[in-house]
Amino acid sequence: MASATVMAPAAPPATLPPGINAAPVMPDVLPPVKARKGVLGFIRRHPTMSVGLFIIATMIFIAIFAPYLGTTDPTALAPARRTREPSAQYWFGTDMLGRDVYSRVMYGARVSLLVGFAVAFCASIIGLTIGLVSGYIRLADSIIMRIMDGLMSIPPILLAIALMALTRGSVQNVIIAITIAEVPRVSRLVRGVVLSLREQPYVEAAIAAGTRTPTIIIRHILPNTLAPLTVQATFICAAAMITESILSFIGAGTPPIIPSWGNIMAEGRALWQVKPYIVFFPAIFLSITVLSINLVGDGLRDALDPRMAKRL
Amino acid sequence: MFNYIVRRVLATIPVMAIVALFVFSLLYIAPGDPAAVIAGDQATPDDVERIRASLGLDRPFLVRFGEWVFRILQGDMGVSIFTNLPVTTMIQQRIEPTLSLMVLTVILAVSVAIPLGVIAAWKQGTLIDRAVMGMAVLGFSVPVFVVGYLLAYIFALELDWLPVQGYTALSEGLWPWLENLILPAVALGGVYIALIARITRATMLEVLSQDYIRTARAKGAGQGSILFLHALKNAAVPIVTVIGIGIALLIGGAVVTESVFAIPGLGRLTVDAILRRDYPVIQGVVLLFSFVYVLVNLGIDLVYTLFDPRIRY
Amino acid sequence: MDRRTFLKAGAGAVALSGLAAPAYSQGANARTLRFVPQANLANFDPIWGTQYVVRNAAVLVWDTLYGFDSNLQPQRQMVESEEVSGDGLTWSFRLRPGLKFHDGSAVTSKDVVASITRWMARDSMGLMVKALMQEFVAVDDRNFRLVLSKPYPKLLVALGKNSTPMAFIMPERLAKTDPFQQVSEYIGSGPMRFVRNEWVPGAKAVFERFADYQPRQEASNWLAGGKRMLVDRVEWIIMPDPATASAALQNGEVDWWENPITDLIPQLRRNRNVRADIADPLGNIGAFRMNYLTPPFNNVKARQAVMAALSQEDYMAALVGGDQQMWKPLPSFFTPGTPLYTEEGGEILKGPRNLDLAKRLLAESGYAGTPVPCIVAQDQPITKAMGDVTADLLKRIGFNVDFVATDWGTVGQRRAMKNPLGQGGWSMFHTWHAGADAINPAVYIAIRANGERAWFGWPDVPSVETEVTNWFEAKNLDEEKAAIRRLNKAAMENVVYAPTGFFLQYQAWRANVTGVGKGPIPFFWGVGKS
Repeated sequence: MASATVMAPAAPPATLPPGINAAPVMPDVLPPVKARKGVLGFIRRHPTMSVGLFIIATMIFIAIFAPYLGTTDPTALAPARRTREPSAQYWFGTDMLGRDVYSRVMYGARVSLLVGFAVAFCASIIGLTIGLVSGYIRLADSIIMRIMDGLMSIPPILLAIALMALTRGSVQNVIIAITIAEVPRVSRLVRGVVLSLREQPYVEAAIAAGTRTPTIIIRHILPNTLAPLTVQATFICAAAMITESILSFIGAGTPPIIPSWGNIMAEGRALWQVKPYIVFFPAIFLSITVLSINLVGDGLRDALDPRMAKRL
Repeated sequence: MFNYIVRRVLATIPVMAIVALFVFSLLYIAPGDPAAVIAGDQATPDDVERIRASLGLDRPFLVRFGEWVFRILQGDMGVSIFTNLPVTTMIQQRIEPTLSLMVLTVILAVSVAIPLGVIAAWKQGTLIDRAVMGMAVLGFSVPVFVVGYLLAYIFALELDWLPVQGYTALSEGLWPWLENLILPAVALGGVYIALIARITRATMLEVLSQDYIRTARAKGAGQGSILFLHALKNAAVPIVTVIGIGIALLIGGAVVTESVFAIPGLGRLTVDAILRRDYPVIQGVVLLFSFVYVLVNLGIDLVYTLFDPRIRY
Repeated sequence: MDRRTFLKAGAGAVALSGLAAPAYSQGANARTLRFVPQANLANFDPIWGTQYVVRNAAVLVWDTLYGFDSNLQPQRQMVESEEVSGDGLTWSFRLRPGLKFHDGSAVTSKDVVASITRWMARDSMGLMVKALMQEFVAVDDRNFRLVLSKPYPKLLVALGKNSTPMAFIMPERLAKTDPFQQVSEYIGSGPMRFVRNEWVPGAKAVFERFADYQPRQEASNWLAGGKRMLVDRVEWIIMPDPATASAALQNGEVDWWENPITDLIPQLRRNRNVRADIADPLGNIGAFRMNYLTPPFNNVKARQAVMAALSQEDYMAALVGGDQQMWKPLPSFFTPGTPLYTEEGGEILKGPRNLDLAKRLLAESGYAGTPVPCIVAQDQPITKAMGDVTADLLKRIGFNVDFVATDWGTVGQRRAMKNPLGQGGWSMFHTWHAGADAINPAVYIAIRANGERAWFGWPDVPSVETEVTNWFEAKNLDEEKAAIRRLNKAAMENVVYAPTGFFLQYQAWRANVTGVGKGPIPFFWGVGKS
């Protein structure tokens, strides 16, 4: 969902009229912080972010070590023991094909986190490249930005499901589709940063001094885009995981055989009223993970952009 | 200002052209022979050949694109592969439920989110502020169908206050219409409320720190009048902008919400069309939604160009 | 008054006074039957489209010359009388007087001749009649004659059967449409009129009582007898989500749900306003259909490997849940409890499943690990459940499964493609056959094995076809049974398709709905609301 993308004040809305200073992009210079060192200090200063980071770390742990967490084969069918309620043997119960919901949720962390992180990474890299090119090369700018405006006019979920309609459901295709839907916003953000940096005296000075363009980009531009980009990436990660679940829910997502949190919920939707646990457990895991990522995103933005910290 | 308006309106043309080009290419990026896909189940090779000729697949891509755009401009979006009905007819049949849902959701979200955002800003740093902001983050973190199922379970099945599903046309009466839309609008509105509440709070905080607010305070203006008369008026532009941008969220969410609540709107048409690879319908719906989205944001831009005296171009 | 009606009344009185009053009056509500069908009505030409959902809607709008009763015997419906010559070659028919189409025109012999001619081109029995046909003419407005070159004793079965496509009668101008193109108008002479301007494919289809319909005097019995409508309006409300349909039925927002999934039945039964019962005692047969044109299933050993390891118990548990009453093992291709049922040759499906044998057979077939595209519709609970079991089964045997998750409409398209693998070709798909359609080879297109002309998968087993001919030519029930025993054996050995079991399905309705019957089609005549 684009929610996070739009809400992130780091990305000024495209249609904002010039002269309206709604959401400043530029990070200020970090103020000197008399920080207590160490983990405890960090936790004290950023309690919500710490909780978020802890939960994300736990989910990553679950994803990596899913086979060793008392799970069984998440795809193994056993129709004879279908729709069992949660019990000592089946912690989260079994679904309508007798698959162990606990094992599916644990393994599902892999797919859901993979989609979230991969989309965040790919969209950032591609968006960064496009944004740099566009912000730096006048000629390319108008063409690229028209294309990005066009893509941005298609609501992201609609764009992702339209792309999924073209291809077979696979994890890879889901990642590509969501990435394409997210790239325009990232490139707009990066372009905005680049354009404002170009006006900075030290960059102008560097240009005047005949510094080669790649050097300027690497030395002056790139470091300054990283902060807003990182913040944006966390929101994209959260949005991508929600989008994945929506794609799965409407049947245009990852193949039903592969357990992802979205898929487990989609499979359980028919029995929602009588066997709510099939939907409930993956929903809890998904929501908590997305919530944590959003909290970390908020925390990062506060830390990287003190002007915003005061307000949001 | 007139120049700005003309430029702003003209700027939407290339945007829509890009959207149209993307939407048109859908059929050709897809794997397989588009003619065979359209011809469908019982087609003989002759049928496929005839469709290929009618699609003009032998002619250059851009020529076909031009003709397609020309037909769209005349209101002809082609014929659905599965129902053989004109796509425009199918869209017309389904536009009312979706429009009703969206309008109701916007009204609901704005009337809930703005007061919440204002109060959070006013009580910055307090428990109320934290609670509102916490809810907002939560709003982003729960998939809309989970919210929908929960609402349906509590308010329709357990309490039996509202119907579970369906849509009743406005012409059948206001209450029957409203009754069917309340739960979907609340489910769909969650994310939107979160979005608007956050931006309202952020902008309000900025405005509240401005000099003229301090002046108003010094003059002894009441808290309510400061918040809602002075501050909110000056915070309006970014908030309205985000309301416009957030329409994209509503469109995406409507696709899911309409499935959960069995509302016969454009969202369900989209899902059905996508699952069946019904390309003419997919093209029509994506084009329409994007057009509406662009139009709404254009409208918002123009409105505050006209009404906000501070904006001069 | 339930709580919601109360609230509505309260709200109407207090908060919303002055607003438009609810348009639904109690009376209008009682004359409208809201029905949730098994699937979306996406197209509506019952000759062109053979999905059950199209047929079920079509029996409201179009009438037939003959109709099956619950004993699966054809009875006169539009026909008043028929006469067959002593040599069995000349059939003379006379229509009932007063039959009218929904556009007001009278039903004439010309309409019948054109309609039956169009149907013949698409139906397997129709094609057999067509091959024997010497003359088919309208004698006058009410009389028409069919002359054959060879007797065809099952003619009335062909005209009255309920398997798709049924021999519906349309106005001549529509019936002249190419049988491979869809008709553009939906005008029939049945008890209900299709309200086209309220049709929203994917969401709703509406039928209104046709005032000029002349029901027969006999009591209604399936497609036979007087089809008397007790409601003025039938609304089909398509709900893709079973959970929503279930909630809507419990809340009284719909009146009748054609195919509730079994898991939801206990909950529905707890609601005292809801009734649930078996929909069709003739049940359904689950089918695992393989493609004879592409590897690996072009090799009989690979098909037998599936049969050796296939556990009907798994399939049925996935399909209908733990309720043992709802399914039966089916070492046969025919409907249990019907006269021709036989288990001859069914041993391969009985007893403990033999995965080692399956693996050996697969190896002998020379299978080299190429991907096997399994086309599985996710939007039909029946095919979805079977598909998941199949993916697991094939993997265990050692197939390299290429699971193509799609929807039922796309399965309809894809399964028609005879292309090689990699070019749109496929290896297997799931479907199901109504028990009423699996009682004998005449109505059972899925058992036919005449190669390219057979149903999707195009099984090519000459010995099966020989027995089909023997059955058609059988002179008495014993001969018919003998032919079917040999047919079943040959079909099992060569695996025309793999039966995954016999299962029943539920239907559920509000307690105030009367006259809901049992059968392969939801019959709307005789159903009322109190």
